Amino acid sequence: MPEMIRVEGLQKTFRVMERRPGLRGAVLNLFAPRHRMVQAVNAVSFSLQAGELVGYLGPNGAGKSTTIKVLTGLLVPTAGEVQVNGVVPWKVRERYVRQIGAVFGYRSTLWWDLPVIDSLELLQPMYDIPPARFRSNLAEFSRLLDLEPFINTPVRSLSLGQRMRADICAALLHEPHLLFLDEPTIGLDVVAKEHIRQFVSHVNRQRGVTVLLTTHDLSDVERLCERVMILDLGRLLYDGSLAGLNDAFESFWSLKVDFAEDYADVNLPGLPAPRREGRQAVYAFDHRELSSAELIRRLLERFAIADLEVRRPPLEETIRRIYQEKLLVDGERGQAV
Amino acid sequence: MRRTLGLYLRLISIQLRSQMQFRFSFWLDVLTTGLLNVSYFFSTYLVLQRFGNIAGWTIPEVAFLYGMIEVAFGTMDMVFSGFDPDFFSVFIRQGTLDQVLLRPMSVAAQIFGSSFVLRRIGRIGQGAAVLIYALVTLDIHWTPAKVVYLPVVLLSQVLAMGALFMVGSTLVFWTVQRVEAINVVTYGGVEVMSYPATIFPTWLRGFFTYIFPFIFLNYYPALYFLDRPDPLGFPVWAPFFALPAALLMLLAAWRFWTFGLSKYQSTGT
Ligand SMILES: Nc1ncnc2c1ncn2[C@@H]1O[C@H](COP(=O)(O)OP(=O)(O)O)[C@@H](O)[C@H]1O
Ligand SMILES: [Mg+2]
Repeated sequence: MPEMIRVEGLQKTFRVMERRPGLRGAVLNLFAPRHRMVQAVNAVSFSLQAGELVGYLGPNGAGKSTTIKVLTGLLVPTAGEVQVNGVVPWKVRERYVRQIGAVFGYRSTLWWDLPVIDSLELLQPMYDIPPARFRSNLAEFSRLLDLEPFINTPVRSLSLGQRMRADICAALLHEPHLLFLDEPTIGLDVVAKEHIRQFVSHVNRQRGVTVLLTTHDLSDVERLCERVMILDLGRLLYDGSLAGLNDAFESFWSLKVDFAEDYADVNLPGLPAPRREGRQAVYAFDHRELSSAELIRRLLERFAIADLEVRRPPLEETIRRIYQEKLLVDGERGQAV
Repeated sequence: MRRTLGLYLRLISIQLRSQMQFRFSFWLDVLTTGLLNVSYFFSTYLVLQRFGNIAGWTIPEVAFLYGMIEVAFGTMDMVFSGFDPDFFSVFIRQGTLDQVLLRPMSVAAQIFGSSFVLRRIGRIGQGAAVLIYALVTLDIHWTPAKVVYLPVVLLSQVLAMGALFMVGSTLVFWTVQRVEAINVVTYGGVEVMSYPATIFPTWLRGFFTYIFPFIFLNYYPALYFLDRPDPLGFPVWAPFFALPAALLMLLAAWRFWTFGLSKYQSTGT
């Protein structure tokens, strides 16, 4: 598989003017402006192969949108190298944007006052899409995204979910190799989210479009992506498979035990005392040092047991821990970052 | 270039279509702005009539100065409305420039295509009426050169004032808010150009000669059209410096614009 995106040591620092209040402040702002540097993205490196569908995950303010804006050629980075499909996005903007599609969840890329269909038709000459291709693509996407009911409605009057569908259609009419989705499901209800996920999955599989999707909604990632990159405070914390995430980070699993009899002492040597409630006890254990099978064997040696349940922590919790502890790790293919 | 022009016209036609959706309020707007300007000119006319002249310029001669600049400014305000700093600062704040940067078309052409305030024909029409009054009343000694030069002067004025709009919009890349100072130059320049240059104090005349060369855009061409002597003693080519002055301003503005665009930081969410 050829490499589609290569990012090395990406850094973006914003210069933000500090506004001082009051009249005196206004004068000072004008003649002695004070600036603050905001480091939005810091030393981020990754690579995407053609055909991948990768989730770019992180809490608000992590630097996801900034990364997408650099990759779509909207922003020039402060430092680092970016190559997409062999070119540097911001250097050949007009040529480059023909090859990509981009959707921003919080802002439409369509013409606000125009009916959806007029907006879409404007893209045909703009991207020099052959008319026949344009019509067949429009027909296909319109069917899959169910655009028909609102195709004559001005963009400004659409619901958020409708607008997102129109935007995604617009991003794909010119058949880009690469699709950037920045929070495509933000603010949508469950049904609308699912509709969009299905469509994204479809274009990735059927058309081989490489997709980089940012979100802070884990269910997007669980549903769509095999690979995730996790970002916080501008730093890449994890880059690897979704399955590997739990193994890598969450070493503490728990075992819930229902004893058949009352025991005064259920502590096991070498393990922290379990949390108890009646005949129930919950043991926390590091699954890398002690397998659940071994733990169960030891318990069965000593006690009469009615029921057992091994629990791995849910993904949300794992990710929350990653953010909290800023764990940096070697993912499957990830590098220590 | 042809492709860009075609796309530009499509964008403009969209603008016009949505503006004409509300036909009644549109014409009402045109009419009121036109009438407002006419009444402004008329009150000036009454004042002038008392004095008979301004710095030796008769009323029709001043009307010539005023009519020229009104037609040119109205046209500029219509064609360059995408670069109007008041419009462009909103454009930046709402993040619309991101959308523009995502499209495979020249950024400037898209900004030209993003606004076209047709209502300005009210001001243009009013200016044209005053200009026609001047041309009919004045006994201009027409030569073929003057006939050709008149539209060239108007075009130069449009470009020069458009350059100021562009500079004002470029400043927004740094300030996000519009910058009043540049509006003062733009709108103040229009005021200054509507009167004979000699009525202004030397420092102001110097400002509009050496820093923003507006004096060559209306006053000097008018001396030529009206066959008036030059009281300021500039070289004989001064009346013909309108187009070069405008092109210089536009070039400088364009350089500044591309520099500003390269510093664009986008907006946070
Ligand atoms: N245009 C901008 N100007 C100044 N600061 C910005 C700008 N865009 C983003 N930031 C700041 O950079 C950081 C990362 O923002 P962003 O990339 O939008 O994060 P995310 O998309 O992950 O929520 C935040 O602190 C944000 O305030
Ligand atoms: Mg974001």
